[in-house]
Amino acid sequence: MIGLGPLNDLRRALDLTARRLRGDYDEDEWGFDPEFAAAAEPLLSFLYDRWWRVTATGAEHVPREGRALLVANHAGVLPWDAAMMATALRRGGIARGGGRVRFLVLDWAFGLPWVAPAIRRAGGVPASPYNALRLLRQDHLVMVFPEGSKGVGKPWSERYRLQRFGRGGFVELALRTGAPIVPVAVVGSEEIYPKLGEIPGLARLLGAPYFPITPTFPLLGPFGAIPLPSRWRIAFGEPIDLSALGPEAADDRATVLEVAEEVRERIQSMVYDNLIERQGAFR
Amino acid sequence: MTTRRVLITGVSGPLGARLATRLAADPGVEHVVGIDTRRPPAPLADRITFVEADLTAGELAPILQVAAPHVVIHHDITQFPEPGRSRRHLHDLNVIGTLQVLAACSELPGLRQLVVRSAAAIYGSAPDAPAFFTEDLARSATLRTRFQRDIAELERLVAAFARRHPAVVCTTLRLQPVIGTTLDSPIMSLFRSPVVPTFLGFDPRLQLLLDEDALGAIVAAVNVPVRGPVNVAADGTVSLARMLRRLGKRALPIAAPVYAPTVRALARAGVVPPIDDDVVSYLRHGRGVDTTRMRAELRFVPTRTTVEAIDAVAARLRGEREGTAAA
Repeated sequence: MIGLGPLNDLRRALDLTARRLRGDYDEDEWGFDPEFAAAAEPLLSFLYDRWWRVTATGAEHVPREGRALLVANHAGVLPWDAAMMATALRRGGIARGGGRVRFLVLDWAFGLPWVAPAIRRAGGVPASPYNALRLLRQDHLVMVFPEGSKGVGKPWSERYRLQRFGRGGFVELALRTGAPIVPVAVVGSEEIYPKLGEIPGLARLLGAPYFPITPTFPLLGPFGAIPLPSRWRIAFGEPIDLSALGPEAADDRATVLEVAEEVRERIQSMVYDNLIERQGAFR
Repeated sequence: MTTRRVLITGVSGPLGARLATRLAADPGVEHVVGIDTRRPPAPLADRITFVEADLTAGELAPILQVAAPHVVIHHDITQFPEPGRSRRHLHDLNVIGTLQVLAACSELPGLRQLVVRSAAAIYGSAPDAPAFFTEDLARSATLRTRFQRDIAELERLVAAFARRHPAVVCTTLRLQPVIGTTLDSPIMSLFRSPVVPTFLGFDPRLQLLLDEDALGAIVAAVNVPVRGPVNVAADGTVSLARMLRRLGKRALPIAAPVYAPTVRALARAGVVPPIDDDVVSYLRHGRGVDTTRMRAELRFVPTRTTVEAIDAVAARLRGEREGTAAA
């Protein structure tokens, strides 16, 4: 029997490669590619266990079935935080691959070569309320980062201070679709690319939301994209059910802003709690 | 159902001729009148009344008066140059042609329905675009290319006509790119070329429509009157990379900043098919549309998904090649 195992593995790998080269694989209407996502799992597991040593709590708060809106704090253009949240949910048995989890990504990332198709195949979708609405109606778990581009370009000194949650668009989505809001605090993600300064002129030239200066970028060129190995904690909070307000409440600005602020404060206090629990960023 | 007289513009084009044939065989249709500057294919000419006329010349009103149609299908909207229709004339054909058709229609007391073949190109292609455009999003689209501006302008004309003539049900069908072996469009030239220039590092989501389903949607619009714009597309999307693999084509990735000049040079050398400016951003960012209205109101469901449509066309092209090789 010795030797057959690896041989079969090799055969399977070759079959898979041949099949992919024939274009004989699935993609859903969003461009999500289940085989690509599965192939990325070992890398994500490495990042989760070894690189960032993630501790996740409260995954049981995320509904096992049906739609939900996961709202989290955010930093950086690349959606590492979304990838780690999805890994935490997979580990917690909430979403075993299969594309139940989708995440909204700042439009700008979809203008980047190679990054754009990779994010899309892994389940990323350009941040637009239309996309979020459609995903929720299809009963996905949708991750949103309402700090938007204000969160993306946070300087090191502002880390973990949540920016304004826009105009509360995510609350409207939850109200319209009856999806519960699950607040999520991600601690660690705001230290992976410490932004010391920026070059606004270059950002304008490149059409980027900002051009950061970090200890490794642009000094090390593309290697500057390697995130620092901070220690992470991801906390999923208790879901907030808004269905009692009804879908009409989505048109009520006062309610929407009030709920948005409430969610922001919940996430902010969860972030502070977990910063204390973590006891040091790079330990 | 009462029998009706149907008038079709652009009847001699590859899709127009098939549309006329299909409607001529429809028991609900009493008679088909076709208008074009080009002669229709011979078998069709016997089954319909063909009138040779130029939509842009302002000679339509008397023709329409005599034909007295209940339904007008304005099908003569052209995205790409065809034999006898140069690039310079496309804008005239699309916008002035529509204007003339609408002017002639406004003098028809018996007109009940106007169906306009429009295009999903009205939404454009951009990295920050919604993954599935709904019909109301056409207003917020930035008009970047010539054809997109043409479509936006002619749709405005149709909407104004619809407001002034509430008794006429005006349907605007926004078709995603149509594929079929009889068509000669840039998308189809990708199907025929061994090498396809792609954007290095990008892989757009495409959503297409098989020619038979395009005809099916137009016939559905004749039978089920729906007001306003309706997106028409096959289910699902496909990434360009996957489409090329299924077709057995080689992709030739070119960096975005030099894409347009490189493709022009390669096309002159005959290595790749020429790629219209209108298609360049489509090949970089793709486009999807929401088809809820098509299903719920037009009650039309395409027979093929996007992937099935691609496979069907690929199989037919293989058949053609083997046929010519055997002959």
